[in-house]
Amino acid sequence: MPAVKKRRIVDSITKESIISNLANSTRLDERGLLDYRNLEIETKILKDKTNGSARVKLGESEVWAGIKVETANPFPDTPAEGVMTCNAERLPISSQYIEPGPPDEDTIELSRVSDRGIRESGMIDVKELCIKEGERVYSVYVDVAVINDDGNLFDAVAYAATTALLMSDMNKFTIEDDEIKMLDEKQPLPIKSVPVSTTFAKIGDKIIMDPNADEEEMATARVTLVTDENGKYVSAQKGKPGGFTFDELREISVISKEKGDEIRIKIREAVKNGA
Amino acid sequence: MKTNSVERKYVMPGDVVIEGDHNPLANVIKSGNKIISTKIGMAEISYNGVRVMPLSGTYIPRMDDVVIGKVADMNGFAWEVDINSWFFGILTGSAVFGRQFSSSRDSMKSAFNKGECLIAKILSFDRTRDPLISVSGPGLGKIKEGEITYITSSKIPRVIGKKGAMIKLIEENTGCRMTIGQNGAILLKGTDEARTKARNAIELIGNQAHISDLNDKVISLISK
Amino acid sequence: MSKNNIERISGRAPDELRNVSIKAGVIKNADGSALIEFGKNKIMAAVFGPKEVHPKHMMVSDRAIIKCRYHMMPFSTDTRKRPNISRREIEISKVIREALQPAIIMEDYPRTAIEIYIEILQSDGGSRCAAINAASTALADAGINMRDLVAACAAGKVNGQVVLDVDDTEDKTGEADMPIALLPNTGLITLFQLDGNLSKEEFDKALELGKTGCDKLYKLQRDALSEKYFNDKNGNKEE
Repeated sequence: MPAVKKRRIVDSITKESIISNLANSTRLDERGLLDYRNLEIETKILKDKTNGSARVKLGESEVWAGIKVETANPFPDTPAEGVMTCNAERLPISSQYIEPGPPDEDTIELSRVSDRGIRESGMIDVKELCIKEGERVYSVYVDVAVINDDGNLFDAVAYAATTALLMSDMNKFTIEDDEIKMLDEKQPLPIKSVPVSTTFAKIGDKIIMDPNADEEEMATARVTLVTDENGKYVSAQKGKPGGFTFDELREISVISKEKGDEIRIKIREAVKNGA
Repeated sequence: MKTNSVERKYVMPGDVVIEGDHNPLANVIKSGNKIISTKIGMAEISYNGVRVMPLSGTYIPRMDDVVIGKVADMNGFAWEVDINSWFFGILTGSAVFGRQFSSSRDSMKSAFNKGECLIAKILSFDRTRDPLISVSGPGLGKIKEGEITYITSSKIPRVIGKKGAMIKLIEENTGCRMTIGQNGAILLKGTDEARTKARNAIELIGNQAHISDLNDKVISLISK
Repeated sequence: MSKNNIERISGRAPDELRNVSIKAGVIKNADGSALIEFGKNKIMAAVFGPKEVHPKHMMVSDRAIIKCRYHMMPFSTDTRKRPNISRREIEISKVIREALQPAIIMEDYPRTAIEIYIEILQSDGGSRCAAINAASTALADAGINMRDLVAACAAGKVNGQVVLDVDDTEDKTGEADMPIALLPNTGLITLFQLDGNLSKEEFDKALELGKTGCDKLYKLQRDALSEKYFNDKNGNKEE
């Protein structure tokens, strides 16, 4: 008898209608192939305990991000640089397919891909996070909780993490007689750019943006591409067992930039409205 | 909503539905001389006893119920069908191929594959074993086309309506054909527009199953 | 010796709760769910089930088993909490499970598991009580057979005064904290903890005060459920 319903199963008739819709260049939720779902960004939702926070709803996928800025010892190989880590948790409340316990490989991939997007874009100037070289640096923790999973968590987590970082502040400090003193006064994080993640999936020979849970499960291949505001590609990850052709990747890279700019405006707006 | 013999009221878990000597029928417990609700729903006090029609909860299989499910897994002898309940429905090879079924001769995959949807009937369920289901009978079997939409199973009676009045109303006004699974899964067949209308009507029933002028609301939604 | 005039740090009256709001049905993928905001606490509870028991050997043939996990997000506390599950979380998971279990009619669901997940997104004092209220609402939302809802609230002693609902800042200077959970219709106390010190008189008073708090939380849970199921904000409407 079955153990647990381990993985989502897309039923055959849904599969068929997804495919027949795609053939007509539409999708079950009436989106075009390269449209993303309704994106809702809310800030300052956890203002009592975090330095910055954001809640993102991408369609029915919902994630909450919270930032904690603390101080720590620098790593010996980078004595003059602060630390930034991004970690995503798929909570068991988010789906019946997720069990509590140590993260599975999908969750670890999600965490690492979102960490890489922020890190490689140089969004945070880690040199500015140094308090005293070799002794004390700021440590920025980005934690993201997945509340409801309806596919494409890569983008939802990235948008929440980015927005929360843009909203985040950190305590100022002074150094008197070699003593570091943290002050109550706040300053913004040293932000250099705003990376935007976009994710595409391939079903048959069709490329779609922002797959929902059913589409993601059906897709043979998935690719996440992160661009910064200078139009540079800063990180990418292909997932699932299938693959893309060169032409497909070229096409995706163009759309990724276009849609990325659109979404960046939305993120900036949310930050402006929240400030 | 009031009729001569039935009294209705909204209740929540722990609410005393009525005191006195009454027969507890469904979703109520008897504690002393009180009848207490165990669910959110509409309590009905009638001559026969007290029951609560729940507004939430998982489907509990009953013998002879028609259900709609999807094949979640299979082994050499049986299919495990997700019927939106606590347990998978078990469809045995012999229920499909007949008594001469042999796992080496008959290809299970030729009948049902993982992910395929079917209309089935509950053969037996006693809470000590997984429910057995069957696909032999008129209207039962593999679903080849259409769309499945879901609603809380306890609201299925409202989708059906009195003697099928609500089904008829939706079908006639949308042109969509509906097959109703008691497990809360409803199969819709028709044009895109027809299905969308029917889906919206079912969603409305799901959100407002407790109100009395449901028919009017559904009509005004469909004719919009 | 009336101590009623001592001002609380929060400015609340001795028998005044923090602001509380409960919303039922906030997570689409769960069978039942609720979000509670209790002072600064922001807590989500979700219920899955009844469902298959996993691992299989934990299955009980004549009733359901209840699994309960109380979990804090790293950003929910003043200094970042390490993501690993702590001994404190394990203990609280257990007492919450034992507070809810008496309300659930487990015999109705043999060979199944009912899973309750509690996620602390922002913590404040009294998170276990807030969590119980959210979980109780989520269980009712999931349509699990229950004898009663479970309401929880803490009473305590701060600056020599017995007060209702001790928050984070009061807890630091407080002399006692006594969280309780109650099945309001049966009067059964299913969570009872105490740390600090109370005289007999204060003990009785705290218990009494805790009960009035539970009654308020019970009403708030009903309001949340009415709003979702009967499109009615103020509970108890009869047709």
